[in-house]
Amino acid sequence: MSKRTRTAWLFLLPVLIFYAIFLVFPVLSSFFLSFREWNMLTPPLQAPNVGWSNYKYIFTEDRVFLKALSNTFIYAMVTVPVSTALSILLAVLVYGRRRDGFWRLLFFLPTITTPVAIGMVWMYLYRPNYGLINSILNAFGLHSLDWLNNPATALLSIMITAVWAGVGTNMLILYAGLKDIPETYYEAAAIDGAHGWRRFWYITFPLLKPAILFVFVTGMIAAWQVFDFIVAMTAPALGKAGGPINSTMTMVLYMYQTAFEYLNMGRASAMAYVLFVIVLGISLVQLRLFRRGGIESY
Amino acid sequence: MPARRAKRTISTVILVLCGVTMILPFAWLLASALKTRAELVAVPPVWIPKAPQWGNFVAVIGEVPLFAYYLNSLIVAGGISFSVLMTSAMAGFALAKYDFRGRDVVFKGILATMMLPSFIFIIPVYYMMRRVPLAGGNDWLGLGGYGLLHSHLSMILPFAVSAWGVFLMRQFMLGIPDSLLDAARIDGASEGRIFWNIILPLTKPALATVGIFTFISQWNNLFWPLVIATSAPELTTLTVGLKMLAIAFDPNRNSHLILAGLTLGILPVTFLFASLQRYYVKGIAMTGIKD
Repeated sequence: MSKRTRTAWLFLLPVLIFYAIFLVFPVLSSFFLSFREWNMLTPPLQAPNVGWSNYKYIFTEDRVFLKALSNTFIYAMVTVPVSTALSILLAVLVYGRRRDGFWRLLFFLPTITTPVAIGMVWMYLYRPNYGLINSILNAFGLHSLDWLNNPATALLSIMITAVWAGVGTNMLILYAGLKDIPETYYEAAAIDGAHGWRRFWYITFPLLKPAILFVFVTGMIAAWQVFDFIVAMTAPALGKAGGPINSTMTMVLYMYQTAFEYLNMGRASAMAYVLFVIVLGISLVQLRLFRRGGIESY
Repeated sequence: MPARRAKRTISTVILVLCGVTMILPFAWLLASALKTRAELVAVPPVWIPKAPQWGNFVAVIGEVPLFAYYLNSLIVAGGISFSVLMTSAMAGFALAKYDFRGRDVVFKGILATMMLPSFIFIIPVYYMMRRVPLAGGNDWLGLGGYGLLHSHLSMILPFAVSAWGVFLMRQFMLGIPDSLLDAARIDGASEGRIFWNIILPLTKPALATVGIFTFISQWNNLFWPLVIATSAPELTTLTVGLKMLAIAFDPNRNSHLILAGLTLGILPVTFLFASLQRYYVKGIAMTGIKD
């Protein structure tokens, strides 16, 4: 090994050691644990091997897990497209404006604010009697809703908050993408008579695609792991979060409760692996889909 | 052109509406933190309190150790940021400025770790933290005590390296000309000296981006601090502490105090983070347009 090569590996050493201890080893142990019954109090190697029964249980008998799976699915499938579309709209509207920095900062404020605090503030905005949102609805002659207390609207309430809080980051990324589109393209399009909607559809959108892909994929990955808003908005005590009657139970929250409230580490590890496969699958499929219709086809 | 003007008006109206929606919860929080209990629950709502109840803040600080929460968050987020900065700069340097076998595999491997969601590590890492040998009353086999579970290290170590940080530092360092390094080598500078005296000063903008962005996201982190602080309350960070305001105060009687606590917990930090915007926004955008 040459001296230079040795130096390079030396510089990489802290990162590699970290990944060995805090990534490779835990990922393998999680997989191992997902086939065990373990409460963290006994030595893990002595935990009884239960085969696939943790996986079997969560998919066939565990109603709460299946509810969490479908809730998380709905949450991701609604919030991510809505937030992406909204942030495209906002980025286009803000772009080219005077004082665009002011607008960007405005939309960015919620994204740098502690999510758990945002959730708690919105919990008050959703209060059925004196909450601000119902007051506004009433001012327009609409009925009050029982937002977070009604199983039919609880998840919707959280999704609204999540979109509100997340739209700023996406907008910022898309705004940077817009800035990278050369002005000459628009000038050429104007000469060809393309304006407004056509201009957006044939120039802005295709050239913005990599940024949109990024926003969409990272949004999906984050949405499947939603935790903070649910914890903040559904119950003071963690063991009771996810209500009413599990209408806002999500995968990571249920995994947390299974592990640290019920001390069922094996089952929680199985849930973690299921979610891991879902997240990985989504990002791979999305990357492929977008690449096929990506820039190279233009 | 009237059509153009109409379009501009519509777009302004949409922006103002969305902008008001963005600012309203903050404004409501600030106003409500200064209300009496009666004003908070009044129907129709009282927008601006008649006499601002500054005493609400005093009452919260008297009841909840907000200062200790702030300090814990500072230690944890600061410690993680420092570690991420050092490790990212070193690894980024190796990946950008050295040619060696296995470099691309290592780089791709580091990028791939970004696909691994953090919840998959928590159970083994929690157990590992309890079983660290010779820490927190443990013997050399890691048995008998509670390991690092009552130390800030248990919150810092699992996040001490960031793949995103390595990626960003590498991209930035690719832009530093090799001739600069070669000139230093001819002058007899060691590789460590080159890293410390040439590379680090030149990468200040990227370091600011990685450092500030890491600090903010760790400051706002809830999941792992919650896991740790449940068994070690003295490590309660601000996020966990804010969540527990709903337990410290009876939400049916003292909501105005919970809101005062939230105000003290987020408004100063949010404005600080907002004022640092220009240092890290570019970094977020940079990852966005990179494929």
